[in-house]
Amino acid sequence: MRRASRGQHEGASFYELGTQHMHTSRVAVIASAQTELRAAWHSAQHIDLISAVVTDVFKGTGLTLDDVDFVIDSGSDVLDGRSISNCGFLGAMGAHHKEESRVEEDGLWAAVYGTTKILAGAASVGLIIAYSKPSESDVNVFYSSQVEPFYQRPVGFDHRAASGIQAQRYLAEHKVTPADLARLVARRWSDAERFGRVPMARVPTEQDVLASPNVAAPLRTLMMSRPVDGAVAVLLANDGIARRVARTPVWVTGMGSAADRHSFAARKSGALEACGSAARAAFKHGGWKKPTAALAEVSASCAVTELMVLEEIGLVPRGRGLELLGDKGSTVNRSGGALPADPIMATGLARLAEASRQLMWPDLYDLKAPASAVVHGAGGVGMQTHCVVTLEV
Amino acid sequence: MARSVAIVGVGQTHHSRRRTDVSQAGLVREAVDRALLDAKLTIEDIDSVVVATGPVLFAAVNQPEKWVVDAIGASQKPLVRITSGGGTGLAGALAGYYQIAGGLAERVLVVAYDKLSEGALQYSISTLYDPFWGREFAVGIMGFSAAYWRARMDILGHTEEAAAMVAVKNRRNAMQNPYAHVKKAVTVEDVLNSRPLAWPIKLLDVPPISDGAAAVVLSSEQQAARSTDRPAWIRGMGYFCEADNAAARSLLVSEPLALAARRIYRSAGITNPRRQFDVVEVQEPYTCFELSYYESLGLCAPGEAAELIRSGATQADGDIPVNPSGGCAGANPIGAAGLIRLIEGAAQVMGKAAGIQIPNAKLALVQSGGGWANLRGIAVLEA
Repeated sequence: MRRASRGQHEGASFYELGTQHMHTSRVAVIASAQTELRAAWHSAQHIDLISAVVTDVFKGTGLTLDDVDFVIDSGSDVLDGRSISNCGFLGAMGAHHKEESRVEEDGLWAAVYGTTKILAGAASVGLIIAYSKPSESDVNVFYSSQVEPFYQRPVGFDHRAASGIQAQRYLAEHKVTPADLARLVARRWSDAERFGRVPMARVPTEQDVLASPNVAAPLRTLMMSRPVDGAVAVLLANDGIARRVARTPVWVTGMGSAADRHSFAARKSGALEACGSAARAAFKHGGWKKPTAALAEVSASCAVTELMVLEEIGLVPRGRGLELLGDKGSTVNRSGGALPADPIMATGLARLAEASRQLMWPDLYDLKAPASAVVHGAGGVGMQTHCVVTLEV
Repeated sequence: MARSVAIVGVGQTHHSRRRTDVSQAGLVREAVDRALLDAKLTIEDIDSVVVATGPVLFAAVNQPEKWVVDAIGASQKPLVRITSGGGTGLAGALAGYYQIAGGLAERVLVVAYDKLSEGALQYSISTLYDPFWGREFAVGIMGFSAAYWRARMDILGHTEEAAAMVAVKNRRNAMQNPYAHVKKAVTVEDVLNSRPLAWPIKLLDVPPISDGAAAVVLSSEQQAARSTDRPAWIRGMGYFCEADNAAARSLLVSEPLALAARRIYRSAGITNPRRQFDVVEVQEPYTCFELSYYESLGLCAPGEAAELIRSGATQADGDIPVNPSGGCAGANPIGAAGLIRLIEGAAQVMGKAAGIQIPNAKLALVQSGGGWANLRGIAVLEA
């Protein structure tokens, strides 16, 4: 195939339209790579995790780093313990002398940014990277330092308190019990072990979940998403390249995102309003009349917000998220999702990578020819920001 | 067909050393209100918001876009934060540009700010370096910059006097800029006699540390007319990097900036930047950088920057005015600085730069950058 251009392509593309970068009506995920998501990658530094996925992502595509027009990456200065931390990883990311931008939000937003860049006709191939090593940091500080500093931080409000409040309300309103949550958690860990390549000593049982230490009543430790180390890379390409390179191009058809108010008290109680806004925007953009995806990969801060996300996206009516544990409706979080493995800042991009793999190789996931997926990423205390992407093959 | 994108409204705060009357959120709101007013729009007309700030350690709030979103009034809208060190303002605008060019939005509000009075700046910058081998000897950004200036002094003739002329020019220009924070004329002798901080960098080669915010409204071609009959069209914009702080880096000419210029000039039809551009705005963290940018941007050949500043060509009344706003010497809220350069360039081609207007400016070049001098971007704006 024609090598993707290394020449003029940035900017408004007034001159090169029709010459080097073909204007494209659609963008596809053509490949992805992911490290194991481990509680702690003691033997690897950030650059090792990043290099591993940047090397792997090209396998089988016939493309090389030379074909990549730009790199957009997600990571956190706070988790990394260094300012402008992308600077230290540019070599590992393969970004030298390329266009590079850091999105300091979950990597799914980076993928959306990259998609717009290709849709604008300014580039043909983009490399999206997200990584995380929370084992070297303090996740509680990561979240508590996001909280408004004058009135909320002094009283100790953080992601645990927010999740606890959300959970109490959900359980009371929808007659869901901690045992129901334990059933959901056990299922996710078991799927993570089986399909998500998440290493674990053993899959926790429902009893283990209920017996794990209290975090914010009614939530137990194992009902919270578990921070893990890892890196994810996704290769995006325009229509022409995707059709020639990918075995099954996974088209990014709809994108939407939204932020909720920062003030937790000002948010709509019992809902994740911004998740609904993001999903509606994505479905509208993708031309979906109904949220009927064959499969869903969603993020979560805890077991309850995972259910709330599924409901806000519209895969199931409000209060009935647990019904998706049955065989009806969309297949949800076949990878295990964020509860067993939450590589903070990379969790949403991992969902995109997982959903793309499930659409490309359904056999590996015990799936029957799924044709569409909905992917979700989130950020902030109490899941303040949400990003939703629809995929089709 | 790629969609054209224009700047249709701009706003910035009156920058100062320490704003004790507002929080970060209040600071942001001031700039946003001004940009929306300038664009004749309300927040309801905005499809998406991009926030850009310097490193979060600068002001000790992690992911601060999630806090200031309430002050912007952007609840239920798309919100994303772009960070790229000092150049983050331009990098944020680039993300907004692509949301429109890629068809995801019609109007995007880009907000950039830093409230540097609330953090320990050079300490924060020091954490940029590798925790295992970099921080042992690299402190802040000044020593590193001084070492490379020293090398350029010998090889390219970027003398202390030439850099002092940059300080004199920019500080004089800042006196006419209503938003500038430092307004005090200096002479070449003043600069040369000012206290060495990391020789050859002296006190008056260094910009102030400021609190400030800036905002622009980007619009698709279809929606631009509602805001202005003279938008600043973005004819090209890009942001390139150079990997790692290796000894192999030249830093005599900024490679990522030269690369950005080459690529963007070609897409924007710029073949003779010195002759074609009516005005240039550069983000000069120290005076020596402005000399380097003259060469990397092709305003003169390598080794000719000292002669260019000496000739008077880059003065406000010269043939290629650089930083008629005063640049960073006038105000330096780092995370906002790149967007302020974009605003000043846009105001020039939109014909509303008031007291610092370059007559008949139609084509502007904007430069911004950050990191350890390895992240560099430019924009070309046209009336």
